[in-house]
Amino acid sequence: MLTINQLTKHYKGSNKGVTNISLKIEPGDIYAFIGHNGAGKTTTLKCIAGIHGFDAGEILIDGISIRENPIAAKEKFAYIPDNPDLYEYLTGIQYLNFIADVFGVSVGHREKRIEKYAGLFEITPSLGDLISSYSHGMKQKLAIISALVHEPKLLLLDEPFVGLDPKAAVILKDIMRETCKNGGAIFFSTHVLDVAEKLCNKVAIVKDGTLVTSGNMEEIVKEGRSLESIFMEVVDNV
Amino acid sequence: MFRQIKNLSKLQLCNLYGMNTFRFTKDKQVKRKTKILMVIWIIIIFMLISYVSGLTYGYIIMGLEEMSLAYLIGISSMIMLFLGIFKAGSVIFNKNGYDILCSLPVSQTAIVVSRFVRMYVENLLLALIVMIPGMIVYACLMKPDVIFYLAGIIVLIFLPFAPVTIATFIGAIITAISSRMKHKSLVEAGLSILLVLAVLIPTSRVSGLEGQITPEMIKELSGQALSILKKIYPPAIWMTNAMRTGELLPCLGCIFGFLVLFAIMIWVVSANFHFICQSLYGSVAKHDYQIENMKKDSVLIAMYKRELKRYLSSSVYVANTIMGPIMAVIFSGTLLFMGTDSIEQVLPVSIHIENLIPFLVAGIFCIMTTTSTSISMEGKEWWIVKSLPVTTKNILDGKILLNLSLILPFYLVAEVLLIVALKPAVLQMVWLLVIPPVIILFACVFGITMNLKFPLFNWESEVTVVKQSFSAMIGGLGGFFMAIVCAVPVALVPEEYLGLTMVAVCILVLVITVLLYRKNNGVNLQEI
Repeated sequence: MLTINQLTKHYKGSNKGVTNISLKIEPGDIYAFIGHNGAGKTTTLKCIAGIHGFDAGEILIDGISIRENPIAAKEKFAYIPDNPDLYEYLTGIQYLNFIADVFGVSVGHREKRIEKYAGLFEITPSLGDLISSYSHGMKQKLAIISALVHEPKLLLLDEPFVGLDPKAAVILKDIMRETCKNGGAIFFSTHVLDVAEKLCNKVAIVKDGTLVTSGNMEEIVKEGRSLESIFMEVVDNV
Repeated sequence: MFRQIKNLSKLQLCNLYGMNTFRFTKDKQVKRKTKILMVIWIIIIFMLISYVSGLTYGYIIMGLEEMSLAYLIGISSMIMLFLGIFKAGSVIFNKNGYDILCSLPVSQTAIVVSRFVRMYVENLLLALIVMIPGMIVYACLMKPDVIFYLAGIIVLIFLPFAPVTIATFIGAIITAISSRMKHKSLVEAGLSILLVLAVLIPTSRVSGLEGQITPEMIKELSGQALSILKKIYPPAIWMTNAMRTGELLPCLGCIFGFLVLFAIMIWVVSANFHFICQSLYGSVAKHDYQIENMKKDSVLIAMYKRELKRYLSSSVYVANTIMGPIMAVIFSGTLLFMGTDSIEQVLPVSIHIENLIPFLVAGIFCIMTTTSTSISMEGKEWWIVKSLPVTTKNILDGKILLNLSLILPFYLVAEVLLIVALKPAVLQMVWLLVIPPVIILFACVFGITMNLKFPLFNWESEVTVVKQSFSAMIGGLGGFFMAIVCAVPVALVPEEYLGLTMVAVCILVLVITVLLYRKNNGVNLQEI
């Protein structure tokens, strides 16, 4: 579903960025991407999402290169950033309609999906209000609904649980599992290692822009240890 | 209190014109772009200084030394006043950092004063650029007493103070009124435009003069301008007299008056600061939406609708970009009542103004396009379109379409007025109908080109983008300059070659527009 080969991206005039990152996310994977602040998680996600260009390497989404054919590649995924800066001058429903129009979602499908997810996240009554009146958590919920409105094969989520109330966090985890059960894949960054350990079947740890370890969760977290202790050991020793 | 004002003012001023970002950024691309912008700004400032020096020299040589200083003081005050009215509300009641500021142990007065200081310093720089070259030329030629220099320093310090105080007062009142309305941005933009037009239109009535321009005529026009200045802005005359004749009392009295007005303004605005901010930033959440009657749009229409909502959500964006089309309609209406004779009489050479009217109208239409700032206005939400499966063309077409659709109703009204006013022959009517859209289209595309070249996303206030960004200035005036450039051959060629020249001009502008359009659509937005 998502193949990252030798991804290298450095910001001009700065040492920050990522170097030689390679990952493979298969259909059905819930893949956690963890690392300390500034490790390169958001940079990697933005490169995959086509927001940043990159210096070297290749990113294929469902076999389509984000560099060579960005439009076709972007049709396959949805991206939610760590800080949901949405169009505050639109109402929630206008924003969802805008995203649905861009992805060419039919009226029937968008109605059904918006009804379903807005109902689950309990923000249907607020969809007629301006996004500027939303709390951080409501914006996050709206961003999640907008990502689901076109049923993408791949979800790219940057810190998706930040700002969500406990109930919404549980609902999002259920949606993530359901998406993967239906053949989709999820690649998300998080600092909540507990969630990553319980929810994900695969994990990658990044430090200072390079991949430290990656693979199946059960192979990395073994012998009764927690992901937290593995993470601390890996980032301290490498 | 003074410590608070000092600290908050430092915060307001530290990134003035992006200097702090330039100082600390490690991004070489940002540094390079800032350096290019600085060079261009230096050239523009140098041109402004040359213009001011030349103008002052000319006035003094013609024996109009009073006019030279009054003109500089008057024109810079008017610019500061009108630009200030448009942006005062956005600066004083800036949303950015409002929550954090309110949680800090600082008074509302300190917040308001610090934001006023920012506007004052920006305008002081303008005043220095305009006044100092003029004063140097005046001092060299007129050899004035020491009182000139003393009064000059006082005038320089207080020159921006008066218009900025008035503009802040008016801007705050407009913002306070609009904050109570449902469509805040539109009401604010409408009130600002009405106010500026209410002052501009009566003051633009300089009566026509017969025949070719002579020094006597300039003296007569200058006398009229001086008497208008006396009526609408007497402080300019008092400041001039203080410098020329040492008559300090009226000038000091005026400064005292403005200090009182400033104190009242600060007191009134501070007392209502939280209320106005809360009214401005608070959205009415009805919380009663039910999913029904959805409609599917094409990508282009979706992009256009989004652009329109963005546009209408910002009063400063609307007020600055709609002035051109409004002025074009007013200009066309003026021709209907006054005819073309009055314009022909004040021109230095004898030409048929009818041939130039299409270019004049086009130029006025193109003063400040929306496209020249529409990419920067995406701000921190720029990630959304970058991550969506839409082409660069889709995004940019939405922006151009918005600009064209805003101008269209004004264009139709202006054309009807012009046709009634000029009663053109068939061919003239064709040029009247064709040339403005050709140049307007160029202006819209050129605005995009400039904004792609000089985007600004990390802004704190929309004012920074709409009024202070480089792309707003160069991109926004591109069409205006193109109209002037195109008008030159039309004015110079003999009548028998006029049709051919018009066709050539249209084709040339269209070719440039198409080339720019294709270049814009080929831009990789990841690099923007």
